[in-house]
Amino acid sequence: MSPAAPPIGRVVATELKPSTPHQFHFWTARESPIGIGAIVRVEAPGRTVLGIVTDGFAYSDLVTPIHDVIGADGDPASALEAPTERAEIRLYTAAVLRQLPEEPLQPVPLGAVHLATDEDVVTALRMDAFTQSAEPTGIPCGVYAAGGLEAPVYLDADFLLGPEAAHLNITGVSGLATKTSAVEFLLASIFQTFPAQKGTVAALCFNVKGPDLLFLDQPGALTEEDRRLYARLGLRAEPFRNVRYYAPYKPDGVNLNTLRTHEALAATTVPLVWGLREVQDYTEDLHNRDDVDAKAGAFIDFLAERVVGREFRDVTLADAPLTVRSFADLEDFFRRIFDFMESQGRSSEVWRNHHLATIRKVRNRLGNISVRAKGLVTDDGVASDLPWGTFADRSVHVIDVAGLDPLVQDLVFARVVSKLREHLERRDLGVDHVVVFVDELNKYAPNDGPDTYVRRMLLDLSERGRYLGLVLFSAQQFRSQVMRRVVGNAGTTVFGRMDLDELALPGYATLSPATKAKLAALPKGELMIRHPHFTQPLFVRFPRPAVLPGRVGVERFPPAVDLPFAQAVVRQLRALDPEIPPSRVEQAIHGRREEDVRRALHTTRRVRPENVLAFFTSQLGRRVEREAVPPRSVPALKRSDDPYG
Amino acid sequence: MGTMTWTRMRRAVAARGFAPATWIPAASEGRAEEATIQPARLLEDLPLSGRAVGPAEPWPGVVAFLDGVQRYEVMAYADSTPLVVAEIGAAVLERRERRLRLALAERRRLVIARPQVLARLEGTTEGHETIALPDEGPVHPVRDFQLARRAVDQARGRLEVEVGRRYRNRSDAWLIVDGPLTESPQWACDPRMLGVSKSHATLPFGGEELDHYLRLAPGHRSPVFEPAGHAVTPVYSWGLRLWPWEGRDVLHGLVRIEAAPTLETLAQADQLSRWLLAERAPVSTPDPRWDRLLYGIHAVEQYLRASAER
Repeated sequence: MSPAAPPIGRVVATELKPSTPHQFHFWTARESPIGIGAIVRVEAPGRTVLGIVTDGFAYSDLVTPIHDVIGADGDPASALEAPTERAEIRLYTAAVLRQLPEEPLQPVPLGAVHLATDEDVVTALRMDAFTQSAEPTGIPCGVYAAGGLEAPVYLDADFLLGPEAAHLNITGVSGLATKTSAVEFLLASIFQTFPAQKGTVAALCFNVKGPDLLFLDQPGALTEEDRRLYARLGLRAEPFRNVRYYAPYKPDGVNLNTLRTHEALAATTVPLVWGLREVQDYTEDLHNRDDVDAKAGAFIDFLAERVVGREFRDVTLADAPLTVRSFADLEDFFRRIFDFMESQGRSSEVWRNHHLATIRKVRNRLGNISVRAKGLVTDDGVASDLPWGTFADRSVHVIDVAGLDPLVQDLVFARVVSKLREHLERRDLGVDHVVVFVDELNKYAPNDGPDTYVRRMLLDLSERGRYLGLVLFSAQQFRSQVMRRVVGNAGTTVFGRMDLDELALPGYATLSPATKAKLAALPKGELMIRHPHFTQPLFVRFPRPAVLPGRVGVERFPPAVDLPFAQAVVRQLRALDPEIPPSRVEQAIHGRREEDVRRALHTTRRVRPENVLAFFTSQLGRRVEREAVPPRSVPALKRSDDPYG
Repeated sequence: MGTMTWTRMRRAVAARGFAPATWIPAASEGRAEEATIQPARLLEDLPLSGRAVGPAEPWPGVVAFLDGVQRYEVMAYADSTPLVVAEIGAAVLERRERRLRLALAERRRLVIARPQVLARLEGTTEGHETIALPDEGPVHPVRDFQLARRAVDQARGRLEVEVGRRYRNRSDAWLIVDGPLTESPQWACDPRMLGVSKSHATLPFGGEELDHYLRLAPGHRSPVFEPAGHAVTPVYSWGLRLWPWEGRDVLHGLVRIEAAPTLETLAQADQLSRWLLAERAPVSTPDPRWDRLLYGIHAVEQYLRASAER
């Protein structure tokens, strides 16, 4: 549209509805394409004002409804037949996005109102500052569409991934707000357009429900409209190229606890297994004060600093140094303490200044983790973890925690985010920025409820993460139910279709009734975005992400059924080498203890040897044949000459 | 220099020794009429209590509405002689597919005073037409003002006729005029024009006939008659009750229709009345004359008032 296009309205200012530096009113013809969220330009001598429509009014010259009743003789059908339509006005309220010149800031002048052009949209949203600079940092997030205009909208990478501001929070009702799709699309956009001068970026997503994020590497079906939008935004419509999935085992230790177990996807689905060393630092954080008091905390510290992963010498427990590397070792360590205490009789209930009850409590709590996290936490100490230190640029790491106990989910969150922070602080993660995506934020950082470690961790991430390049993308149904400081720290806020009850809360008081009404009926694929550069929220449309939706993915790649132990081992080894004959594996593990087989299997998966079967068999160790012991004959005590026999 | 605003003109005349005034007469936009009875000639053999015209019918095709407005005020006095300024306007709104749109509009600004006063205004009346009042007799401010008001009325009437003529030159749609067609000989003989008079200062009947005429039932019309006193611009006319009057006033909802003096008018009187009955909706509230003011005419007035220069 050329700047010379005729005006679509005129600014009006009355005593009751005056223009201010931040708001103005204008009327249009009834057929005008203006709608809520449209960007308009006011032209007046010496001043151009760009605004966004926030409310609309229509009224006629009818003074009271009774006059319409009179005119229709009380018959609504007659009202429709009136030969003349009443004069009707369309009056809109717009919030100022930008004034040119910006100083002196003055009330919006009376002037002609035009629909915004492409250039107007760029100027109004102050995108010129970061899309037209020498080193542009714009990240496409959708298109602004109104009045026949469709203009790309960009977010500033400096304000989305730091260091100026960071984090993104998205709110909306389940199923209609397309929150997950929006994040997937935005991640794809970041991966394709994140400027080279800003460094490298990766994403780490927690899949917290169903199959939501389990098929990011598979192409999804797109419509022509979707492809057109991708082209308009200058993006390629393609799935993520480098995705790895991590899922703990089920308690059996061989079947993965995820819906992504289809054979065709096995190569990129990695078991997530942690040993004692991996979880010991987080055990205290996962329990509340009732579970772990100061005394128990002191004993856990003692274990961490003096025992776990070190040679521990104590002649009261063993002559040789003890080495605790696994939960099994730890259990042996505790048993030795209790044996020693029992040998001392009732006279002593203290071992190294730690009371027996405290030691038992810590043993119970730690043991509880290994029981509840069975499948994630292994007794044998062999871990299978994320590639700390070797995160690749534009890689996505999805950790499936959907099927885990809440305590175990907390453990996964706590450790993963802490490790990310540690590595980013040391600048040795492999990438400069990591986007962490957490859905169901109201569950992990609730506004009320106990002050859990995960909540503190998310708060810390939202407050300090941007300095490290650690960025939180979070989503929830109800923003009001999330800790205010966590969502408040999000530089970019996105809203999909909203619940009306939620919109009625004071937190949304700054939105006009019309904007709220639009939010409550927002179609799929449309979002309202707040971004530091935008002085008012903006509605944008975005294309479907070019990845397979979880629901469709599960249909196309049905999860493999859980197999008996031996067959599950076969499947896992064949995922490494499809040529392995199942009978050879079954033969190799026949008669072996399951924990020995699991240990060998985990080691094989971790090492990924060239000859998988040979390596696996070697890890099983020498088979110890069962020795048949003949029954000893014990002579009878009874003698034949016994007179009472 | 463009049209001089009245504010600037007020300053300019004050500078020339005029005594400023801001007298805006009450009901300055109304037309002065003398109440009278002028017996008409009946053209139909119908009882004066009228007959039902049938259910309302929407007007087919395009219909246009013509009206004019005026406003005036005493701006200043030269000694005792008033200087009157006025703005008049006339417009046609055309209705197509139930929506009214502006077809034509014309505005004029007038300065009215005695010739010697006008002479002193030279250079201050750009954009205004000057109308000289008769210079006979001694100066009397009230009489001069009445003469000025009459001049404004006449100028407004001429402007309406001019706008009506221009519209007719470009369209043969039905044109409904606020007031009588007798303003213009062309209007009076136009077969596609109707005048709708809200005023009943001049009544066509007296005595018992008048009682019947003023008690027409809703949806009824009087017989067609030829009003008296219009030898130059003869028209046919009839009364039509748009709204029930019981409990209100005998004139409530009563309009007098004027049309060309032709046999076709006689034949169409019921049809035209049915079309006009349909024009009751939407009602033109909040205008106090809503019972007789057609919405299309009301819309023309609204347009002219809203777009008047200040």
